[in-house]
Amino acid sequence: MVLVSPAFALVSIFVLFSLGFAVYISLTDWPLIGSYHFIGGRNYSELIHDPVFIHSVLFTLLYTAIVTGPILVLGYAMAAFVRANRPGAVVFRTAFFLPFIVGLATESFMLLLELQPDSGAVDAVLHKLGLASLSTAWTVHYGLALGAICVFVIWFASGLTMMILMGGMQGIPRELYEAADVDGATWWQKERGITIPMLRRNIALSLIISVIGSFLAFNQFFILTEGGPGTSTEPVVMWIYQEAFIAYHLGYATAGAIALVVVVGIISAAQFYLLRDEADRKTPKRRLRRRR
Amino acid sequence: MTSASQVLRAPQTVRPRRKGRAGLAVYLTVGTVASILFVLPLAWAVFRSLLPDTLVTAAPSTADVHHLTFGNYSGLIRGQDILHYALNSLLVAVMTAAATAVVATMAGYGFARFRFRGSGVVFALVLATLMVPFQALLTPLFLEMHTLGLTNSLTGLALFYTTFNLPFGVFVMRNTFLQIPWEISEQAAVDGASATRTLVSVLRPLVVPGIATTVLYAFLFSWTEFVGALTFLTSNDLYTLPLALLNMEYGSVGQVNFGWLEAGAVIAMIPCVVLYVALQRYYIRGLTSGVVKG
Repeated sequence: MVLVSPAFALVSIFVLFSLGFAVYISLTDWPLIGSYHFIGGRNYSELIHDPVFIHSVLFTLLYTAIVTGPILVLGYAMAAFVRANRPGAVVFRTAFFLPFIVGLATESFMLLLELQPDSGAVDAVLHKLGLASLSTAWTVHYGLALGAICVFVIWFASGLTMMILMGGMQGIPRELYEAADVDGATWWQKERGITIPMLRRNIALSLIISVIGSFLAFNQFFILTEGGPGTSTEPVVMWIYQEAFIAYHLGYATAGAIALVVVVGIISAAQFYLLRDEADRKTPKRRLRRRR
Repeated sequence: MTSASQVLRAPQTVRPRRKGRAGLAVYLTVGTVASILFVLPLAWAVFRSLLPDTLVTAAPSTADVHHLTFGNYSGLIRGQDILHYALNSLLVAVMTAAATAVVATMAGYGFARFRFRGSGVVFALVLATLMVPFQALLTPLFLEMHTLGLTNSLTGLALFYTTFNLPFGVFVMRNTFLQIPWEISEQAAVDGASATRTLVSVLRPLVVPGIATTVLYAFLFSWTEFVGALTFLTSNDLYTLPLALLNMEYGSVGQVNFGWLEAGAVIAMIPCVVLYVALQRYYIRGLTSGVVKG
């Protein structure tokens, strides 16, 4: 079919071939320049004993664990706030979503100045509130850097969750709420009894997107901490990048990348599944429940 | 739209007027405060970018407002050739948006209109790209693109961006074409229009919103993307805006020129804000498709 062939060609070359090629590279000692040798699974057995790689995996999991909950809760609250057709709702929605639009890289460059000791706005504000010294250097301490980046990312990403949930909320029939109002239900009772159950698919979708985004974190750490101090704030994608393009261990880096592909692939298979449900118009809620 | 808003407003008029007014005041106050929390950091960056060198690196003070200057912007343009990097970013984003629109529209039309042997498999393969994080495929992609002469090339980068925008674009375009009442194109065929002519002239008004959504996403993706550009571009001359900013952060020996960095980040931010605010409804259309990456 002529019409779909350009799309198919691009996907075949850059995605399907890359996947197979990645598996092959991961079984070699591929350097950036020069010849390579087939070494079987040695990269993988080294990987699971590599403290730097293990740390980057654990660090990524920790970071994901910290930000996922707040992004969902804040995104939900914001969606509930802007879903009604009230004056100002569209303006508020636009404002809440703006950080996501501008992008993590640009905002990381902006934040870099504000996290500097003595000249940053973060220190100035916290100092006024009596919470920190004026010369706190946020980006060079593990805990401070992680904390600052988590707050930053929650600010950045909750707007996306809001949008995904808002779309679902607006699809819930108003009669359900009107019936609940007649029964004298409180706001929280309506959320628990109507919104959350009806929104299960959207909540799952937003969680998947948020978790994958966290697993693939790179920009904010690369720009703000460079992975430091040492390699303490180095997430997995940054480990792959450093190992491949700074240390020139392409084979070894790719073995780590394969692990990431598998994990992210499994999680996004769930997203794929939810989408297929919608596309085929099969009852999504029943299917979702069965999977749990 | 009007009937929906009438339905929504109806219960409010039933309520006692004073309670409704007070509720609205609380709503607007809470919303404004929350909005400020989200927008202020971005506005603050604009403010900081307008400060002279000596004040950017000092603790912020209220006296700063008396010293606003465009010095950082003129310094960036003359000293860092920032417009050159902005142009690189723009070129890649335009190429990505155009290529994604063309390829996704063709494929979306093909998948929606025709059933052919293996069409389900091919569609699943394109959509499955969604499950593959390009961040984890940097090594094979680098080697492939290097072999094809596509590394250190803005066209190569745009092709890479196009590929990873395709699952979204194809999905949106296929849905767009599926929602079209087919009688229109059948009527066009009866009237003797070719398949291409049907696509171009008859279906265009129905299809343009879908294309706008696809273009907007591809453009913003390309404009804000960082790690791919970092990997595939090696010569300073071809850097996109985020890489030029990174160069200012790490390339300078000793002190980072924060005034320039702020101004450069603001330049990178402006197109995103303008495009989003102007084309919001197309953006939200895309979000409801569910094929979004975080």
